[in-house]
Amino acid sequence: MARLEIRGLRKSYGKVEALKGIDLDIADGEFCVFVGPSGCGKSTLLRTIAGLEDINAGTIDIDGEVVNNLRPRDRNIAMVFQNYALYPYLNVYENIAFGLRARKVPDAEVKVRVGNAAEMLGISGLLDRTPRQLSGGQRQRVAIGRAVVRDARLFLFDEPLSNLDAQLRDGMRAEIKRLHQEIGKTTIYVTHDQIEAMTLADRIVLLRDGLIEQQGAPLDLFERPATRFVAGFLGSPQMNFVETKLEQADDGLALVFDQDRKLPLDPTRVPAFDKWRGRDVILGIRPEHMSRSGDGASRKPAETPLNVLVDLVQPTGTRTYAQFRLNGTEITVELPSHTVERPGTTIEILVDMSRIILVDPETQRVIPG
Amino acid sequence: MNSGGATGETVAGPGGPALLTRASQAADRNFKYWMIFPAVLVILLIGLFPVIYTLIVSTQNLTMMDEDTTFHGLMHYRALLEDARFWESLLHTFIFVVVALPAELIFGLAMAYLFLERLPGRQIFVALLVLPVITSPIIAGATWRLLFDNRFGPINQILGWFAGEPVPILWTVDPNFVYPAILIAEIWQWTPFMFLLLLAALSNVDQSQIEAAELDGAGFWRTFTRIVLPAIWPVMAIAVLIRALDLFRLFDVIWALTRGGPGTSTETISIYAYVLGFQQFETSYTSAMAFLVIVILAVSITLILRRMEIDR
Amino acid sequence: MRADKGLGLTLRYVTAIAVTVVFLFPIYWLAMISFKTPEEIFAFPPVWWPESIQFANYAVLFKDGDVDTIWNSMVIATVSTVCAMFLGTMCAYSIARFRTGGNFFADWVLSNRMIPPIVIVFPIFLLYVQLGWVDTYVGLIVLYTAFNLPYVIWMMRGYIQDIPLELEESALVDGCSRWQVFMKVVWPMARGGLFATAVFTFVFAWNEFIFALVLTRSDVTTFPVQVTHYFGGQSNFWAKIAAMSMLGTVPIFIAVALLQRFLVRGISLGAVKG
Repeated sequence: MARLEIRGLRKSYGKVEALKGIDLDIADGEFCVFVGPSGCGKSTLLRTIAGLEDINAGTIDIDGEVVNNLRPRDRNIAMVFQNYALYPYLNVYENIAFGLRARKVPDAEVKVRVGNAAEMLGISGLLDRTPRQLSGGQRQRVAIGRAVVRDARLFLFDEPLSNLDAQLRDGMRAEIKRLHQEIGKTTIYVTHDQIEAMTLADRIVLLRDGLIEQQGAPLDLFERPATRFVAGFLGSPQMNFVETKLEQADDGLALVFDQDRKLPLDPTRVPAFDKWRGRDVILGIRPEHMSRSGDGASRKPAETPLNVLVDLVQPTGTRTYAQFRLNGTEITVELPSHTVERPGTTIEILVDMSRIILVDPETQRVIPG
Repeated sequence: MNSGGATGETVAGPGGPALLTRASQAADRNFKYWMIFPAVLVILLIGLFPVIYTLIVSTQNLTMMDEDTTFHGLMHYRALLEDARFWESLLHTFIFVVVALPAELIFGLAMAYLFLERLPGRQIFVALLVLPVITSPIIAGATWRLLFDNRFGPINQILGWFAGEPVPILWTVDPNFVYPAILIAEIWQWTPFMFLLLLAALSNVDQSQIEAAELDGAGFWRTFTRIVLPAIWPVMAIAVLIRALDLFRLFDVIWALTRGGPGTSTETISIYAYVLGFQQFETSYTSAMAFLVIVILAVSITLILRRMEIDR
Repeated sequence: MRADKGLGLTLRYVTAIAVTVVFLFPIYWLAMISFKTPEEIFAFPPVWWPESIQFANYAVLFKDGDVDTIWNSMVIATVSTVCAMFLGTMCAYSIARFRTGGNFFADWVLSNRMIPPIVIVFPIFLLYVQLGWVDTYVGLIVLYTAFNLPYVIWMMRGYIQDIPLELEESALVDGCSRWQVFMKVVWPMARGGLFATAVFTFVFAWNEFIFALVLTRSDVTTFPVQVTHYFGGQSNFWAKIAAMSMLGTVPIFIAVALLQRFLVRGISLGAVKG
């Protein structure tokens, strides 16, 4: 069991502030993912928890014990590194046993525990090999085995899958999730890949410029982003953003675009946006929340038609991405693969107005409603 | 890494853990100093002690006969300035540097070009050519002493074939030939050093840049000065610096071939200092000279390094 | 074009062989003298290839006990290399990973390598007279350790910087102290560089002449000094010079041949990673 509590954590390298005051609670057994663009401080945060970086201010508290001044070895945590950090001069068995040996665990117990860990990760047949003789995926398993074998209270993963190719990555991702379900240890996982974050996390902590931008359950963040940054970061392809204006239309409000195009707001959402009447806003809409009219599917009430001129078509096989311009901004829409249009044709698409978000252009925060 | 810098001061939790954490932190913070401590202590034996010692002794008047440790000011330094033999030894040293260094550089570069392109068995050639570099300089000198022997050595014999008559040159005695003799031995030993470094540097030059220059119609010389030379300059500069410092302290080869003779005509700074200190036991005078050499060297190294920094 | 290339290759090949012959000839001549009989050595014109390879010149060295100087060199070079490697690698680790002392300290360390031996040897000699260290193993071992330390520190710093930091961090998290990280991770990871640096350190101590000339008398004479004892004013002990030189040089040739890979980096003070 391990509960982590971080208060007012700051860390700077010379004049550059990497962490500007982090407050964070992680519950026992939780799988928490730190995600964000490179340079956001996610790795630094992880490394301060591991004790590999000193901190300038704040406290890190594990199970009620402040560990700020504890050396890494005394914090009883296990960490998996991006480059696996396997010792090339030791075989797989000794690599996994390394931490146990450093802690002077008796040979007999080492044998049992390494055996169990190897069993769990399906690498029992590789124990005599050296890291050089292993594939990328196998090395990753050994690296995880080295963490699992120790009875650490906290597991830290620092971008563990970024060196694997795409196919292996999917498999290892599932495996890490399964492992967490089996062992149930508190886990912190750093990645820049939002898909990894979405699929693995009980809770995502999204960092930006040394601060927590938003945290919560993956779907919460995905559906109720607090800022434009969060909305744009999660989801692939990215959410589209268009600068527009909210104006009176008929008995409600509508977003107005060039060529006299309009998207009336969903009536249920009008009251929330009422005070934005006549003001500039930014529309956010995900590519998958638009569709081709006449696809055969029954039209939902919130779906609103919009005529657009397709200027680029990108088929991927399963889906096709079409692009058009709206208020001078390139917008991507996700369509079924067989509705491919040639560039230059005008089509009617349906925008699901119940899924749009509006962003305040000044604060870049999502307007609640 | 833990740089041992400032840590959160907000901690200081009460009770046991704080004590433990303080202790472990302190151990980590001092670790880096414990790691350098023994090495620094030993280096000071050659890095600090001789400087201080020679400085002190050079202001006294110790000789083989006299243990006069009273302060004599700059007496020996003044004498040194008027010591023609000292200035000549400095000149001899200078001659060896300015002749041997360019020769080694040019021969080394030519050889590097010779072996730059694929050549079957290149590895073997390189492995053989390195042998002079790792031979003990005194052994190299001894070897050339045998080669230069006026009667039983092969050098005069080979020259005789070209001359058509026996050549009786006294290489290590005849004032006209002692410099060539020493220089040949020195250049023989260290040209492969230049060769090895320059070959490595040339191999690392971006081939596509050279090809682009050739396509643009640049000739060999232009390509060399504009592209190759800037690329190999960092390595070349270090090679030249290492060799210049070695040549400045030239001792072994001369000791084996001429011992500074005939007379004092091939006496370098190192040879003269040795003779003064260990044969004439002019303790204070030698110390003054040693200290002066340290100063000269420190100044020139600083200047050279600064110049190289600027060039980069 | 093609024929031109072929011709060029032949020409280069011939030149390469000629150059190599020139550079190897002195070593060949030394080796041949060591195998010659006195009559062959002092024949006129010189004998280019001895009638028969004979080892009498070497046998004399063994019989007279002159080879003891090889043993002295071996003891001094080995012990001083081990000391320099151990202390130097510790210091190099501190500089490489903690920037201890900053650039100034690193530069100062290297600058000690540039001091001419003649400047050092004189005060050291006077100090050793006081300590009773002249003509002892410990005297030369300490001096060679000191003189080689800057080289070891400089080289090992480079090799340690090549080790991925994550390996050490992983060990820290896994429960190692700083010292254990050094012993269990850095030491084995730097094996190649350690070995190469040790060989060059050994070669330096083995070949060194001026310190040994000043600081030995008879008890711990090293082989380079011994060779100079065979020089005569008018005539040299040719056979002894040659045989002794060969005994002291061939092991070095073999050692360096084994680490061709590290050669350029080793002799260029790490400037060229080869």
